[in-house]
Amino acid sequence: MEFTPEWASQPCLMGIDEAGRGPVLGPMVYGCLYCPISYQSSLASLHFADSKTLKEEKREELYESLKLDKSLGWAVDVIGPRELSAKMLAKLVLDMGVFLTEAYLDTVGDPEKYRIKLSARFPSIKFVVSKKADSLYPVVSGASIVAKVTRDRAVREWLVEETGEDINRKFGSGYPGDPETKAWLEQHKHSVFGFPSLVRFSWGTCTAHLKGEVEVTWESDEADESGNGNSNKRQSKLSRFGFTTCESRSEEIESSGKGRCKFFQARKIQQITQF
Amino acid sequence: MGTIDLRAAADENSIANLSSQVHQLPCCIRFEGPAQVSHYFKPKSSEVEIDGVRTEEAHFRGRKLQGATISLPSGYSGFVLGQASNRNANGKRKASSLTEEKPCWEVKAKFDKMTYWNHDSLPSKDDTFLRSFHWFNIAEALHKPVTVEDLVAVSHGGKG
Repeated sequence: MEFTPEWASQPCLMGIDEAGRGPVLGPMVYGCLYCPISYQSSLASLHFADSKTLKEEKREELYESLKLDKSLGWAVDVIGPRELSAKMLAKLVLDMGVFLTEAYLDTVGDPEKYRIKLSARFPSIKFVVSKKADSLYPVVSGASIVAKVTRDRAVREWLVEETGEDINRKFGSGYPGDPETKAWLEQHKHSVFGFPSLVRFSWGTCTAHLKGEVEVTWESDEADESGNGNSNKRQSKLSRFGFTTCESRSEEIESSGKGRCKFFQARKIQQITQF
Repeated sequence: MGTIDLRAAADENSIANLSSQVHQLPCCIRFEGPAQVSHYFKPKSSEVEIDGVRTEEAHFRGRKLQGATISLPSGYSGFVLGQASNRNANGKRKASSLTEEKPCWEVKAKFDKMTYWNHDSLPSKDDTFLRSFHWFNIAEALHKPVTVEDLVAVSHGGKG
């Protein structure tokens, strides 16, 4: 996937699909598969199908064979769930010098809205956004295999690399409704750290699981909420540890340098007079 | 005003050296006490190098953090302070003694390296945390005793 294939200057089509939107465990992976439009008919003969309908061994086998196929290009992006990645993949492939003219992808949202958004971003590409694209278009099926296999391997690698001796490996399907997954989440949550990094925290289910745990507030979230917000959501103040600043309204002022010369403000340096 | 007892810092063996084990996170964790940090928080060296510093990656509560381990400027040390232990030995009730008496802090551990973490951006020289070190040079200049020669130089400069 690092080099640009010889056929890249021919009109190409691409399929994009993702794996891991449902499960709370493991990363979400976007995969794409692209090839010259002239190769499209042969693509149908490769027996790509929606990766969900294939057995794991079959998926692995198809993945290995599509990697060897000189007429196919592919790329994956392992991402956090907050990022939108179809755009990133399209950009990546275009930047490689592939003459993309058509792209096929699935969506959970409104296909037409998504199509308009993508078309505005990449005017030279004709987008086909459709529900069930992964079973309708072989190029999307291929992308779904690339994504699913990459995801499965990432989860397996995580287990090898990161599991402590006391982490139990039976987490079920990873879907939030699975009792085995639920039990695993309950067993591995920590009041300060939350869940092991395999777990996707932003998932609603996880938020519910973490209720009653130690509260963590992020500086970047506070910057998003414009205005002064409520003060208990802010960065830990030194006054909490018995330090007070020289300002009279010390509760209002954090270690932000607020009210001081610009030099200090820009460096968030605050003066301490009582401790 | 309270006091900070730095005597323990002079003896290398009496306090723990936490170099490279101190992390500054871009969040507030409403918890105080021990936690199994190394078991859950696992920084990894990343491929990216910025301003000659190898960046690191770690996750906390599902968010990716990007950090850098830095050495404190020479002449400076980091200290972990805690309430002086003799406070409890007095046999006084903790709550009342804390409010009535001036707090007394003592050095519990020291460090000369620490890691700071950004949430949305790669570490760089523009980070507030590193920029706060600029103060060290200014403080040095401000607090340097003024010599007769300095005064003479300034007064001559004023005339010219």
